[in-house]
This record gives sequence, C-alpha cells and structure tokens, in this order.
Amino acid sequence: MASLLEARTPGFNPYSVKYSPYYDSRLAVASSSNYGIVGNGRLFILGLGPQGIAIEKTYDTNDAQYDLAWSEINENQCAVACGDGSIKLFDLNVPEFPVMNFHEHKRETFSVCWNPLTKDTFLSSSWDGTVKIWSPTRPASLKTLPVGNCTYSASFSPHNPSLISCVSSDSHLRLFDLRTPVNAKYHLVAQIPIHSPPSIPQSTILPRLSNGTTYAGAIPNEALTHDWNKYSDTVIATGGVDRTIRTFDIRNPTGGPTAVLLGHEFAVRKLQWSPHARDVLASAGYDMTVRVWSDGSAMPFPQEENVIRVGQELGLMNRHTEFCTGVDWCLFGTGGWVASVGWDERVLVWDAHTLLRR
Amino acid sequence: MSLPRGLKSVLTKAPTDVVILSALRTPITRSYKGGLKDAYPEELLSTVLKATLDANPNLDPKLIEDVAVGVVLNELGGSKAARMALNHTPGFDTSSTSLYTANRACASSLQAITLVASQIKTEMISVGIGAGMESMTRNYGTRAIPVDVWPELKESPVKEARDCVMSMGITSENVAERYNVSREDQDALAVESHARAARAVKEGWFDKEVVPVHTRFQEVDKQGNKVGEEQRVTVTKDDGIREGVTLDKLAKLKPAFKPDGRSTAGNSSQVSDGAAAALLMRRSTATELGLTGQIMGKFVASAVAGCKPDEMGIGPAIAIPKLLNQLGLKSEDVDRWEINEAFASQALYCVRELGLEKELAAGKVNPDGGAIALGHPLGATGARMVSTLMHGLQRTGGEVGVVSMCIGTGMGMAGVFVRE
Repeated sequence: MASLLEARTPGFNPYSVKYSPYYDSRLAVASSSNYGIVGNGRLFILGLGPQGIAIEKTYDTNDAQYDLAWSEINENQCAVACGDGSIKLFDLNVPEFPVMNFHEHKRETFSVCWNPLTKDTFLSSSWDGTVKIWSPTRPASLKTLPVGNCTYSASFSPHNPSLISCVSSDSHLRLFDLRTPVNAKYHLVAQIPIHSPPSIPQSTILPRLSNGTTYAGAIPNEALTHDWNKYSDTVIATGGVDRTIRTFDIRNPTGGPTAVLLGHEFAVRKLQWSPHARDVLASAGYDMTVRVWSDGSAMPFPQEENVIRVGQELGLMNRHTEFCTGVDWCLFGTGGWVASVGWDERVLVWDAHTLLRR
Repeated sequence: MSLPRGLKSVLTKAPTDVVILSALRTPITRSYKGGLKDAYPEELLSTVLKATLDANPNLDPKLIEDVAVGVVLNELGGSKAARMALNHTPGFDTSSTSLYTANRACASSLQAITLVASQIKTEMISVGIGAGMESMTRNYGTRAIPVDVWPELKESPVKEARDCVMSMGITSENVAERYNVSREDQDALAVESHARAARAVKEGWFDKEVVPVHTRFQEVDKQGNKVGEEQRVTVTKDDGIREGVTLDKLAKLKPAFKPDGRSTAGNSSQVSDGAAAALLMRRSTATELGLTGQIMGKFVASAVAGCKPDEMGIGPAIAIPKLLNQLGLKSEDVDRWEINEAFASQALYCVRELGLEKELAAGKVNPDGGAIALGHPLGATGARMVSTLMHGLQRTGGEVGVVSMCIGTGMGMAGVFVRE
C-alpha cells in the first residue's frame, strides 16, 4: 500500500479519530495513556501536508479520552468524551484548557456526536446508562434520555435533527424521536433487538442467509458501535462483541437485519458508513484490522421470502499492530480516504481504493 | 403459556413450572469392550427407571403417567423393548404408566424430556419421566445409515436430501475446513475433555448421578472368541475416560474419516452404551404430594433449528442463540454449558461462534468433560447431559444451565434448565 501516511501518538493509545468537517487536511484523535485503564488523556490535532502528518496541537485531560466530535458551527472547536464522565469543549485558538466543561454523567462518557443538521446541539452517551443532549453554550444538559445500561455509542440521524439512536450493552438499538411528547418512555420510539432473529408473526421459523446457512442471530451481547447510512434515511449498521456487522431498516424494528457482514475475528469497535457511496462502510476491530464492506444493497438480490443478504468484504487493511479502535472517512476529495487509529499508538491515513482494486 | 423473558422471570418460581426431582444415569461405557457391552439397552433403561423410583421413595409410582424414551438405533424404534422393560421393572404399574419412544437422533432424550415437559405444561399429564437408552455395541452395525431407503433420495437433485446420509465424520471434516478448526486445537480440546472427566471421576463428582448396573460380561480375545465363563458384574464407573492422555499421543493418531482429515478417533466422540432418566412433574403437583424438598430444578424451554446436513455440527451455534433470544438471556446469565462433543471440530466451532472461549477456558463449558471422554450413546446423550448439568449446578451452586447438541441430518437442539 503505497499511499499510506502515518503519525504516532507516543505514550497515548488512541480511541477515536475524526476528520474535520471544514478542512480536508485536519484530523483530531482522542487518546488515553495506559490503554484507557488509568491515567491522562490527550487530544491530538493533526495536519496533513506535503511532509506527511504533523501534530499541530495537543490538549491534555486528567482522565482518559474515548471519543470526540468536531463542532459543526465553529471550525476550531471540538468536543471530547472523557473517562471521568465529563465532556470538554476545546477551541484551537485557546491553548491548553477547554473553553467549556460539561459534567453530568456519573460514569465514563463513551461517545459524543454533533447534530449535523441544526448544528446547535451535541449529544453524549455514557456507562451511566444515559444519553444527554447539550448546547455548546450552556453548562447544564438540555435533555437526558434514559437507556438503562452502558451505552457505548449514540448518534444523531444525518437526515432528521430530531432522531437520535444509540446502542448499548443490552444488545439493543434504540431510537428516540424528540418530536414525540415526553411520556413515560422519554421519547423512545423503537427498540431493535440486534441479536434476535427476525420475528415472524405466529412463528419461530429461522431465516436463511444468502450463503445458505441458517440465521439464528447470536446470544444477546454488547453492542459497541453503530452508524446511520448517509444516503438511506432508514438504514443503520451495528457492530459489537459478536464480531458480526448487521444493517437494520428502522421501519421494521422486529424484522431482523437486512444484511449481515461476516469476517471480523474479534469484536467490532467502530464502524462508519462512507459519505460517498450508499452501500459502503468501514469497520475497525479488535482483530487489528480495518475492513471495507459493501452491504450488498447495490447488487442485484433475488427477493426470496425470509432470506437475509450477506454483505461482501471489499478489502482489509492490516497494518495496525494492536486493537483498531477508530476509523473515519474523509468528506472531501475523490472519496475513499480513510483515517484509522489503534492501540499501537498510530494514526494511519490511507486510500481505500487501493484495497478495493485488489 | 408464553415463555419467560429475562433472567428474573426465568428464575421466578411458578406453580405451573415443570420441575425435576431426579436426573440419573448409568455409567457410560465403551462399546464392544466396555463394562456394559453385553447389556441390552432396555436392560440399562430398566436399571435407571428402578433407580428413579428408589431416588423418589415418597412418590407413588402409580402417579407416573407417561415415560418418554429417547432411542436411536433399536429395532422397531425400541418401543416394544422399552415398554417390556418398564413393565418388568418392579414398582411400575402397567395400567397407570404408559411409555413411548422418541427419535431425534443425537438429541432424542433431550427431545424426550422436552416432550414430557410439554405434556405437563399442557396438563395432559402431571408426572412423567424423560429418558434415553442406547447400546451402540448391539445396534451400530449399520453405522446409523439406512439400508432400505427410497433409491431416488440417494440420487435426489437436492443436495440437502442426499447429504442426510453423509458419514458424520465427513460432516466434521467439513466444519473443520470451512471454519478453520485446526487439528492441534481439536486435539487440545480432547485432552482437556479427558482431563476434566478424569478429575470429576477422581473427586467423586459423578457419584450422585451414576447408578450401578448389575449385568453380565463375557471376556473375549482379539478374534472375538470367548475366554472363560460369562461373569456377573456390577458396573459403577464410566470407562471411556483416558487419564493422562497427552497432545503427543493424540497427534500420532491417523485421521479417521479421510486421508488428509483432522478428525481422529481421539478427538471424536466415543461409540458407547448407556441410559439416563429424569423425573419431571408440575410444581403444584410436587407441592400437593409434599415433594418440594426433592426438587433439583426445573425445565425452562428448549428449541430446535435446522442447518445444512453436510455441516450438521454447527447445530448448537444456531439452536442456542435462537433459544436464548426467545428467553432474553445473555451468556453471562448462564452458569454452566453442556455442549455435546460429537466432534472436537464442531464443539470448538460452536464455542467460538457463540463467543464462549472464555467460558470454556474458565470451566463453564463442559466442566466435567464431554462426549470425547465420556462417550456419546446417541439416544441417551441428552438425558445424560441433563443429569450431569443438574448435579454439576447443585455442586457448584450455579442456577441457569444450557444443554445443546448437534444432530445428524442437519439440526441443532438446545434446552435451558434452572437449578433450585
């Protein structure tokens, strides 16, 4: 792989990488010392230039950093999810310290996501079993959505500013719609059992995968990551401990997955749909690989009753030498540049096309 | 009669629960050579049925309405021989207690227990026995492949129809090849299975579940000629376990099913003889009869699911998720797993696919060994595993247990039990 750029994060194990939505040459990496078990965190602001990747700025926190989100309204700001339960907003024009500190979560904050449509709010999810919605200008949260168990990943829909999704350790994908009244369910509108086989009315028949094997789902286990498809407004992909990536159509919460992507040998830590193609996604896993997939939706598929599509692995990037924890697509350019991070203290920037051509 | 959802409701006691009062088995011994080689399967059944009555002295045997016996290889499906054995067993009353046999191949006696539990749930009966019996010494001449079958099936254009008579060994090789289960890993599982079973025997952990069998034994030489007189023997211990078997020894064995294969006689289940039985009743009946003190636990639910016959070994990897999703249970909720070791290849594949590698290493999967060490007397295996599960949970104090096995012709079955 010729087109591979590399940067190191010495002493810190990265947990997340995000491209700036404003500049094609700017990246941020949230990281933790000692693999996030104990010690400080460090936010790296990286610049891509003719000389490769340069570390432009760093921001230290007292606790580990698990995720970050670039502000959608201020190109210099970045929210970071911290191990002490806080979210810190850093401004690249202000050295050293955060400009805001949001501290309500009682346990580790595991994910942050900026609202890409209204751009005036962001959300966070935590081990304390809640998702919180924040304004960057207010220190107290605007809203708290109860999930009830460790929530590894939460996200705004890229198609509708009121739709929020999250996945958690109880093996469910939850959907909240802020337009619904706050009734007993706190905006919860759907709860999709990720590991269950499709529930067919009046029956317990199992479907088949398109490769011929019976699909029984998996023993319910922890879901670690999910992402909304950038083109189809009802499609979400999930990944987690059982190594399998699944896509769901939120219009059919009990219908089981629409596609199953098989290949990761250990847990899937992070997945991200391509901003450039409706059927392509990238995933980073504890098997030290980053894989690029097609969910198969762009290929012809015989519409058989009760058959689930098996997606196709398009390529595998195996240059990381430790758990891969983060992956992100560049929004700009020819479409195919990917940044990945792993516990090997490395940030790799590469062109997914070099994998696809093989 | 909806299924409970979630650990809390699975553990909740209800008067309609199907409770288990005893779960016993004979020793499982090696076919052709082992201690029970000259016994008849119905003789083993009679022994374990008698032991079931003895273990429940305060239960009037007349209240046992039905007995289901899992059996695979017997002539006539074993139904007449098993009925004769029941009538012959002192204590049973012919007009009160009925009997039938069930054949779901390797899951037959888990199926028998499930059937009796269903009869109790639907109030067809209140008390019943789910059992299993098999003498592979006597009835394995066909290698479990039908002789007189509609010839067109063997030429069927449907691969899944033809594959049903594929040798089980070849299905094991298919699983090993398709899912990359190495010979070394298979041999390592076999060593572990023998070591765990040997420890269980040494520590006396099987003593509460095993009932002695008084039978005949004729010593023979290598040519099969009788040596001396037939003797009366009492068989008290499993005899397939090889204490001190090592990786080196297993590595020397030749592949058993194809020249470049990975399954050997050492990492496949043994051909065995044995029987097992569990006494089941509705909890309200146990309360009325004053037998609540005898309750070991309960049957919660079971599930079956199909898969391709040429990789039938993956069955547990399908049946277990199906059942646990129906019950809303996670793997942390399960304290003990009994996953049948038909072949090390499929057992390992299932453990990996189910994400139970840590549980296997920690001794929560087959903690006292599996069919590689103990043997796999087809029709008796399910009930054997239930007795090992229930007694094992009683000893170690866990609550939720899972029993599962792959089934020839492409199926998997799983059952969830709770110790109380």
